[in-house]
Amino acid sequence: MVASVIPQFVPAFYSSMYTTALYGGLIVAFIGLIGIAMEKRDIQILILTDLVGLAMLIVVAAVGTDLSEALILPGLVVELAEIMAISEILISREMRKVDEGTSFTPMPLKIDMEIMTTAPNFIALILIAYGVFLSGFTGGAVAGGGIVIYVLSRKVRGLPIFVLDGVGAISGISWCLWIIGFIFFFLLPQYWLLSLFLAALGLLLKVASKIGLIGILMREEYGRK
Amino acid sequence: MFNLAIWVYLGLALTLFGSLATVWGPGVKDPVIRTINTEVASVGVSLILLTYNSTLALLTLIATTIIVTLILFRAISRLEEMGADV
Repeated sequence: MVASVIPQFVPAFYSSMYTTALYGGLIVAFIGLIGIAMEKRDIQILILTDLVGLAMLIVVAAVGTDLSEALILPGLVVELAEIMAISEILISREMRKVDEGTSFTPMPLKIDMEIMTTAPNFIALILIAYGVFLSGFTGGAVAGGGIVIYVLSRKVRGLPIFVLDGVGAISGISWCLWIIGFIFFFLLPQYWLLSLFLAALGLLLKVASKIGLIGILMREEYGRK
Repeated sequence: MFNLAIWVYLGLALTLFGSLATVWGPGVKDPVIRTINTEVASVGVSLILLTYNSTLALLTLIATTIIVTLILFRAISRLEEMGADV
């Protein structure tokens, strides 16, 4: 049954191992889900979620084509974002329960140096310039790191609401750039360089603005006195 | 010289063993031990990805595994610090 749907260019080894790897992945997922069903405490369930994510990776990788490899990458990133978000939710819920002066990012020392207020301009500038030079997903992460450093270390409170809206709008426009670049790849393949740069710069703006937004929201939510 | 099937089976066995160790292994009431046990399963998945020639996926898996472990350790230590039931 399986043999009829496999394309001819999949190596014979992968298609011969497909059933084994698929059942192995399903068994691992089953074990992980049993563990989740038996646990009561939230942090333990979060750790076991990791296991189900690994099983998902096996099931996707068992296909053995380039597309399956390309599908593993967003799966991993989404799993990472999910675990990050849920762990923050658990921590902040516990902080609300305790309701005393616990800081969100505990520091061993009270750092009050001049360099913390003057240097971030320079560091953020360098990081953003380097991120723009890199472009793409990596460049977006580097530039976003620069924005986060700027936002978190400078103690400027109360960013006007239209700045937040503007960052969101940049994110949306860059998403459109990315989609336009992708469509150009298929409709006008001779302009591949243009579409490549549209996609890369769109992704740069998208990731940088998203990471910057996370930094702004963290400061607004937890830096409040 | 290389029988590729051996590595897939080894990876599957490691993943299975690691997941069993994570769910029912000794001392998993402690969340730190449970987190470290998931590493065994992730090494098994790395072997499978290596056999399937998925270089990018393998590199991303290694990077995200490290970050996930750091996030989980931070969450565990913060929750224990605040005296939550972990």
